[in-house]
This record gives sequence, structure tokens and C-alpha cells, in this order.
Amino acid sequence: MSVLLVLEESGGKIKRASWEALAAAQRLGPAESITAVVIGAQTAALAAEAAAKPLGKVVRLEHPLLAQYTADGFSLALEQLIGTEKPAYVVFPHTYQIRDYAPALACRMGQALIGDVVGIDDGPVFTRQLMQGRLIGSYRHAGSGPCFVSVQAGAFRPDANVAGPDLPADAGSAPITTFTPAIEPAQIRSKPGEPFRGSEQTVDLGSAQRIVSVGRGIKEAQNLPLVRELATALGAELAASRPICDNGWLPMERQVGSSGQTVAPRLYLAVGISGAIQHLVGMKGSQCIVAINKDPDAPIFEVADYGIVGDLFEVVPALTEAVKAAKQ
Amino acid sequence: MINVLLPTLAEPQQFSMEEQLLFGTLAAVSLFGFWRRFGPILGNILQSKKDPKFHLFPIGRRVRDFVWEVMCQAKVIRERPLAGVAHALVFWAFCAFALVTLNHCATTFGLGFLDPAGRVGRFYFDFAALFAAACAMGISGLFVRRFVARPKWLGELSWESGLIALLIFALMVTYLAAFFVPGAGTAARALWWAHTVTLLLFLPLIPHTKHLHLVLSPFTVFLSREGFAQIPPLVGDEDFGLVAGTDLTRLVSLQAYSCVECGRCMEHCPANNTGKLLNPKEIVLGLRGYLNEYGPNSEEPLLGKYNAQEAAFECTTCGACEFQCPVGIEHVPIIVGLRRGAVNTGAWEDDHGFFLVLEKGSNAFGLSAAERDKFVEKNALPIFDGTQEYCLWLGCMGAYDPRGREIVVALVRVMRYLGASFGVLRKERCTGDPVRRLGNDLLFQQLAEANLEALKQNRVKKIVSICPHCVRTIQEDWKAYGTPPEVEHHSEFLARFARQLPPIQNQEKIVFHDPCYLGRYRGVYEEPRRVAALAGELVEAPRSHERSFCCGAGGGLVFLGEEKGERVSHVRAEELAATGASVVGTACPFCNTMFRDAFSAKGDGAPELMDIAQLAARGLPE
Amino acid sequence: MKIVVAIKQVLERDAPVRIAPSGKWIDESDVQWAMNEPDAYALEEALLLKEQAGGEVIVVSAGPERVGSTIREALAKGADRAIHILCDDLNGRDALGAASLLAAAIKPENPDLVLTGLQSEDVGLGQTGVIVAELLGLPHATMILHVEKTDSGLKVKRELEEGWFQSIELPTPAVLTVQSGGNKLRYATLMGIKRAKTKELRTVSAAELGAEGAPSVVLEQIAAPKKQKSTQILSGSAKEAAAALVEKLKTEARVL
Repeated sequence: MSVLLVLEESGGKIKRASWEALAAAQRLGPAESITAVVIGAQTAALAAEAAAKPLGKVVRLEHPLLAQYTADGFSLALEQLIGTEKPAYVVFPHTYQIRDYAPALACRMGQALIGDVVGIDDGPVFTRQLMQGRLIGSYRHAGSGPCFVSVQAGAFRPDANVAGPDLPADAGSAPITTFTPAIEPAQIRSKPGEPFRGSEQTVDLGSAQRIVSVGRGIKEAQNLPLVRELATALGAELAASRPICDNGWLPMERQVGSSGQTVAPRLYLAVGISGAIQHLVGMKGSQCIVAINKDPDAPIFEVADYGIVGDLFEVVPALTEAVKAAKQ
Repeated sequence: MINVLLPTLAEPQQFSMEEQLLFGTLAAVSLFGFWRRFGPILGNILQSKKDPKFHLFPIGRRVRDFVWEVMCQAKVIRERPLAGVAHALVFWAFCAFALVTLNHCATTFGLGFLDPAGRVGRFYFDFAALFAAACAMGISGLFVRRFVARPKWLGELSWESGLIALLIFALMVTYLAAFFVPGAGTAARALWWAHTVTLLLFLPLIPHTKHLHLVLSPFTVFLSREGFAQIPPLVGDEDFGLVAGTDLTRLVSLQAYSCVECGRCMEHCPANNTGKLLNPKEIVLGLRGYLNEYGPNSEEPLLGKYNAQEAAFECTTCGACEFQCPVGIEHVPIIVGLRRGAVNTGAWEDDHGFFLVLEKGSNAFGLSAAERDKFVEKNALPIFDGTQEYCLWLGCMGAYDPRGREIVVALVRVMRYLGASFGVLRKERCTGDPVRRLGNDLLFQQLAEANLEALKQNRVKKIVSICPHCVRTIQEDWKAYGTPPEVEHHSEFLARFARQLPPIQNQEKIVFHDPCYLGRYRGVYEEPRRVAALAGELVEAPRSHERSFCCGAGGGLVFLGEEKGERVSHVRAEELAATGASVVGTACPFCNTMFRDAFSAKGDGAPELMDIAQLAARGLPE
Repeated sequence: MKIVVAIKQVLERDAPVRIAPSGKWIDESDVQWAMNEPDAYALEEALLLKEQAGGEVIVVSAGPERVGSTIREALAKGADRAIHILCDDLNGRDALGAASLLAAAIKPENPDLVLTGLQSEDVGLGQTGVIVAELLGLPHATMILHVEKTDSGLKVKRELEEGWFQSIELPTPAVLTVQSGGNKLRYATLMGIKRAKTKELRTVSAAELGAEGAPSVVLEQIAAPKKQKSTQILSGSAKEAAAALVEKLKTEARVL
């Protein structure tokens, strides 16, 4: 049962989500059956990074036309590789990029992608969320081609990469091969531009150790100082769920969620956030989650370690006081 | 005997051929001048499309309103006493003068029917003289008010008003002076001609000025709609409300031409009082300007040159304008009509996505119905199953707003104490009040029909609601789509049983705020006071009862985001607090929430805010 | 510009979710239906493009009889005509199966642009648009917030992770999946509904389109989610709860 694992890079380094996908791949087959793929025009460094992980082998899928990501380019290249490797499973991290091309790739092979998987049980049975997190669905692959799976960020812990009895003796240096796909320029139909930011970046939530995040419960922009004070008292960064940023109350780069940043701080304090799936996805990996919400059935409490059911306009100031007092 | 002592009117009895010719010519010119302007106006009114569902009968109400408002000048006097009496005197004088003027013209040709020397004639002329004197005083007073005191409601200085005032004064003076000159002399003849010329000058001026109301307003009052703030139905597939001239109906055109520019509507408008663009007087005059330029057959948009969309959407539909209008103009259907024209055609931008919220959800807040279920469950509210007497309608505020919920809980406590049999529905959908006032007929129809069906299936016969908006919408606006069950406001319910409630120990000083939709719309002023009086001594705000100043939430405005500029709710809250009352009594959950926000912005020292249900519940055992 | 918009009718967001006895899907009785919100944004984008550049907007939707109400809503909002793919087993199909139906209905229309929402609010796979592009042999782009017509085709604004965006140029015909929030949605108007009565709504059955075939992925069972870890709810007044929380964070979680 060979597993083809597609790794995604960002800024010359392999994204954390890819290692989570590796942890998922390890549920489908032993380390030596896993072939990792790095895609691009110059993939030597990426391949080296991948080779250090417990895998069977690394393939450099390289071609000048793959320098920038395009759905056509990546689909074509991978289709050819899959044709050669003939894996039983093709595993991806569920990122924006994967959502853009993996379904088309699966379609070419007569398959449908099982996307955004949060669990893999024996069978294999793949579980994913439905109805915006209100239900869990169990899926099985029934087709005769490869099984395409993409894995939700934060669902599998990448530290599992390091431990495990399946580790081959010489884990740390998997063999690297190169595969050059045949791609003609005319086959790349879209022209991607350079990524740009909506506004000036001034904050890096990804490295913050503590985050206080605010949601719709805050009601109005003028109530933000309440939460800001708490963040200051805690020495935490201020973040928000999507609606707050959409309203312009906080800049876009403070957004945590599927369309914002994925964070994993030691402490994540969700204030007035209901816990819609798009937000949970961005902070589930946090070590300690605290939720303050007046609705005891808010989904945020599902993932919280500690929760206070109450009016945030009373709880937040009280908490700020308590934190300040504790510091003395 | 008395006849001998009173002065006699000196009126020439014989006129030469030349004089008759002169009179005839002048009269013809004058009448021509009158018709030249009045004809097209009448044309504009008659060419406008017919009002749907207009019924002349039952005629009793119309006659009553006509006698009370036109003949007795009741509204004119009551809402602005001093100026009102002055105007009433002028009006009554005009009425008395009808015969005098007719006789005056007839005598030119020897056809006079009132002989100044005869008993009937003398009596009548003397009678009219009293009115002439009163009129002269009245018109002088009004002149001073307009040109010296200059209240802002009357707008810019109007030279035509001055001229008319002068002409009226002249008419009276030339009449009165004729009592003090010898019967057959030149003086009498001169005065006669002076009076005639003044009259013939006045006549053509009528249709050119706001004095057209002399001719039109009796009709306007007589022909007004069935009820207060009545929104007419849309007719046919191409009717979307007041979009262009072709949508103006006869009643609307008649009303547009009847405006006397008194500014009473403007004076009481909450939007206008807080610096918004909306001015109800200008809305009406805007329609008049439109009709004068484009006529009733034009496709030119009504919201364009003469009226702004922004203004139309600043209205809270409080109805103060319509209530105040002495000539029977109905502003609310006009403004809602303009809104309909914009919303039903998609010309209005729904910046807050409000309609989408109600298209998809059950309530105006976009909250999950599960929230309402939790509230019902937590407070163990009985579920309506068709066997109870009352269906307690929570509405959006009662089900989802924390303050509204407190009101419901208080009312439920009282109802339980009284042993009333009631239940709440398992599911409720918004009655559609804000949607109706904003002019979205598609969504309103969907809500009304769904609700009527649900009520029928649940076998609801009687509804009690804490919200005057729900009450109004259920009772009146749903009628277009079916037969709604009986519905009353909780103040009416509580007032019936007020005597059975236990006395309240701590009596407070309470100022009751009349909600627009309970007071002006429903005529309910005393019942909530009867209930509030259980809890203390009542004081009145300067503007109370039919003059109550809106809290600012109505017309769907509370759902359209933050208000610009000075807030209506803050102005009213200040007024209520200034009475020195320790408690502000409300009977509408919207008023309650609006004032709560206003008072919390004020800080300490603000009066307590209590719904009458909460006041009534104060005496109940814990 | 001829634009096809593929929309899906989904459970109303507020609706209670009950699992059917079979355990394979939800209980659809006594449920309110609505247009999938991302599809509403796709429709809005299409209508705006039509208002700017002229053309025709055609709405396509697959599903049982009840889907008609959502299709009529789209017509009321301004679409010119509609195609209803009558299909009673939409839930039994995988993403490839569902997309095949749509592609088969769209192909004969030869549109310049196909728009659909990024993902559905019920199943949430987010694949239909991409697969339709593949089946029609057209270029595509996903997570689109803004579409602009250019001389050579289209220029679109695509959303990336972490607050980044990207412009992409692609030729027409093309397929785009539209992210929510790019525009303000319009409400259904009375005028729209009246006009919709005369608009063409063509029904075609799944069998006619010939898009059959066994699914490669099967949804075996649905269930309510298990709570993954126990949440400690701290009770009491605001002050008490706050103090208790600080205590826990210090001593138990050791994050303060």
C-alpha cells in the first residue's frame, strides 16, 4: 500500500501543514511506503528538508514551468507522476492551493477527493465535518483508482513524525529522485500575479505565545478597548475572528481562522467567539484554550480547556483585574 | 328696537350700465385668472390614477371628521391654540361671508337678495360684521406672527402670504367701513368698488398660492383614508408603490395640493428635530412641485429632483406629521409609498443586509431559533396547544432581546397570578412590521402568509403581545392576506385586571412615554396609565399623548444600523428625565431598549426604566 | 457575456439538524431550505458583470422538486433563465458524480464564464466548481473575490491564506469559484419576482444527461461529534470565575 504524500512549500520552506499530512499518511502505511513529493522549479533544498523525515523516499517533481503555482501545471505534473508511481493513496495537506487543483487531479483519474479529513480510523475510514461542524461523516473509498485524501490543518499532530515504532533504522536520510514531467507552455492557461497584502503587515500572530481573540460578541468597535486591556495585562497579542476584520474593526492580519492565520500559541483566549468551524480551524492547535461566551452551547466550548459562561462585558474586566492582581 | 340701534350697511342699490359692464369684465378676467391656474391643478388631480379600495361609504365618519375638523376647526385650534383660534376666526368669517359676497355681486345687476334695510338683511349684515371684526383681528395677529415673531415652522418669509393677509384685511375693512358712511353717497360706492376689486384680485390668487386650501382642504379632509397611517394595497403586476408620477393617486395628488405650509408636521417630526434631511412638509411640497413640472402621467422618478431617497428612509413612521395635519394630508402612506417604490424595484441599497436576514431566518436579529427555544424552556413557558384562551406572542424583542425577555417574564408572572390561561407558540416568525414600513411587499407577503397559516394551524383565536408594532401589523397589515385573530396589547389586557393586582408598596414618581404605535396608531392612552398608576404618581412629559415624541426605533430604522447625528432616542430620553420622575414607564420593548441605551450613555442619575408589566408585577409575591 | 451560475439548495442555516434513522443522511422532514450562501455571492458577481458588460445569466441547479423555490429566487434576483436538473439522489453521489450532472447540463450552453460558490454549507467539500472545470476542459481559479473583464479574458482577485491576495489572468471561457463576502448581496424584490414568472425554467432529468456511474467515495454514516476533551466550565459571578480561571492558568495549565 504505497502512499504518495504531496508537500507544500512557502517561502522556500515546507509548510507545517505538510508535516501534519505526513502524520496522517503514517496511519495509512508504514514510513517506508511513503513517498514525499516536492514540486517546483528548484526543489533541492525542499527535498533535503523532506528527506530528514521518516519516509520511504523523496521525489523532486521539477520543471521550469512549475516555478510558480498554477492548477494546470501542478495537476499535469502530478498526474504523470501518479501514472508512474501508481500509489494506493495520495495524501495532501488541505490548503488553499490543494483546494485549487487536487479535485481536478482526482477527476482526471476518475476519482473524487476526500477533502478536509480530521481523522483516519481502521478500514481506512476517513472522518470529516459536515454542516459546519455540527456533524461528523465517515467516508470510505470505493473506486478502483488511487484514493485521494486531504487532511485538515491542526487535525494531526506533527510531533508524531518523530516518534513511532515504524521508524526505519536510518531515518533521517531518505533517498531523493527527480521526476521531470512533460509540460508545454500552452498547457498552462492562467497567469498568476505576485501575491500582495491588503494592508501593511505589522504583527506576526504565528509566533505569539499568548493570544486574546475577539469575536462578534463584542458588538461594536468602541468596545474593543475592553479586550485590548486584557491583552495588555496578559502580555498577549490581539487577534479576531473574520467578521471583526471584515468590518474593519481590526486589520486583516489579525484574523485567525481558515482564511486568516493558523496559530498555535500556549494560551488562546477566545472572547465572544462562538466557535464557527472557520475560526476553530485556525486555533485548534493551541495548547490551552479558554473561552468566554454567554451561550453555554457555543461550539467554542467543544475545544476549550476552560470556559466561562457569562457576559463578556462583565467577565473581561474582572479577568483583567484578576490577572493584574496575580502579577503582584 | 335693536335693529334700529345697530348701524346699517351702506350698500349702493343702483348701478349704471357702465358700472355693470366694468364689473362684468373684471369678474370675467378674475374668474379666467382663477380657472387658468385651477383648471390644470384639477386636471392633475383627476388624471391621477384612482385609489384602490376607496370607499365613499360609510359616510358617517367622513361627515363627522368634516364637521369636527373643518367646520369646528378642532385640530387647528387644539394643536396650536393661539394661532389656531386666529385662523378659526378668519375661516368662520369666510363662511359667514359667503352669502354676503354672493349678494354683493348680485346687487350689481339688481338681483340682490339681502336688503340692508330689511330685517333679515340687517340682521345678517350685522352678524357678518361681528365676524369681519374678528377676522380683521385674527388676520392681523397672524400677520404679526408670520412677519414679526417668525416661527421657523413657517419657513422663509413669504410675500404672497403677506399680500393675501393684506387683501383679507382690506376685504374686512372695506366691509366694516361701509357701516359708518351714509347709504346713498359716493363714499359707499367707493367702498363697494374697493371691496369688489379686492375680492376680484383675491380670487385668481387662490390657486397660485397655498390658499388653494380654501377650495381643496374641505375635500381633502372629507375624502381621507379609512384609518390612521393606512397603507394602500398594490394593484396588479406593474404596481410597485410610488415610483413615478403615474403611480400618484387622486388622493395623494389632492393632498399634495392642499398643503398650507403651516409646518405643524415638521414641528413634531423626530427626524427633522434631530437635524436629519427628512422634512415631512418638504415631502408633500416636493410632490406638488413634481406635479407642477411633470404632471401625473410622467415616468420621471418621484425620488429625484423634488424628493431625496435619503430623506424618505429617515422616517420612523411615528405618524406625528399625519396626526398634526389640519388639512388631512396623510404623510405615512406617502412616505411608505416612496419607500415601496425604491425597495420593490431594488433601487434602494440594503447596506445592512436586513432583508436577507429575514428572507432566511425567523427573526429580525438573524439569531438562531434555538435561542428562543432556550428562553422558553428556561422560563418554563407553557406551549400554546389550542386549548388556552390567549396566545402570548413574544415577537422578536420578547424572544431574543434581554430587556424584552425581562418584560415577558414579568407579564407571565402577572398572567399566572391572575390565573389567565395562555401559551406561547413553539415557533414564531417575525410579523414583518419593519419590512412593511420599509416597503418590501414581497417579503412582507411571505411573512404575513406564513404567519397566518401557522396561526390557523395552531388554532389561535386571541393574541396578547408586549409589542405595539406586532399588534398593529397583526391587526391591520395582515388583513391584506387573510383574517388575523383578535389581538390586543398587554396594556389593554392588564388594564382590564388592574383592580385584581396586589397593591405596590414603594410608590414612585412615574412618567409614562406613549409609544407611537400604541398611542397615535391605536388610540390607547389611558390603559397603560391605569396600569402604571398602580406603582406610583404619574407625571406627564411636555409632549405626551398624541404629541408623544418618538423613541426613534420605528420604520425599521432600529435594524438599519447606527443613526447619524443627534439621536432621536437621546432627545426624548432627556425630555423624560427632565420631568424629574424616578421611573420612566414604557409599553413597547423597542422604546425600552432605545431609552436604555440613551440612559446608559448618560451615566448615573438616569431614571429607572420599567415596562408597565414590570411595574404591575411589583406588587406580586416573590 | 454568457454566464452560467451553478447554485445549490441547502438546509437553512438556522434549521435543527436531526440524523435520519438510517444514519446515512439528515432527516429532511419539516426543514426549511435556502440558497447556499457562497452560491448567492457567485450569483451576485454574475449579475454585477451582466449589469456592467451586458449578456445573459443562466442558473443551473441539481436536486429534487423542492430546489425549484431556490431557482425561482435566483430568477427573481435577476438571472435570465434557469435549468433544473431533476435528481433525487444527489446526496448519494460523490463530488465527481454531482459535478458530472452540472457539467453535462452546462456544456451545450457554451458559456463564457461559469461561476459557483466556493463550497456548500452542508457537505462543504468545495470541489464541485473545480471538477466542473476539469470536465468541461476549461481553466479555473478558486476563492475569487472580484472579477474583471479584460480584452484577453478575465482578471480575478484570489484570496490566499493569512491575509494575502493574488491577481490571476485567465482566458475565457473559464470557471471560477467565488468566496463569500466579496460583494453586498441583493435582496429579492417584488419587481424581480413578478418578472421571474415569465422567465424560462427548463427541467431536465439526470438520466437524460447520462451522467451515471458508481461513486468512488461513499458517505457511510453521519453522527454527532464526540467531545474530544472535557471542558472545565468555571462558574460563579464574573469576579469569582475570573479569579478561578487565573488560578487554573497559573497552576494547572501553567501558561501564566
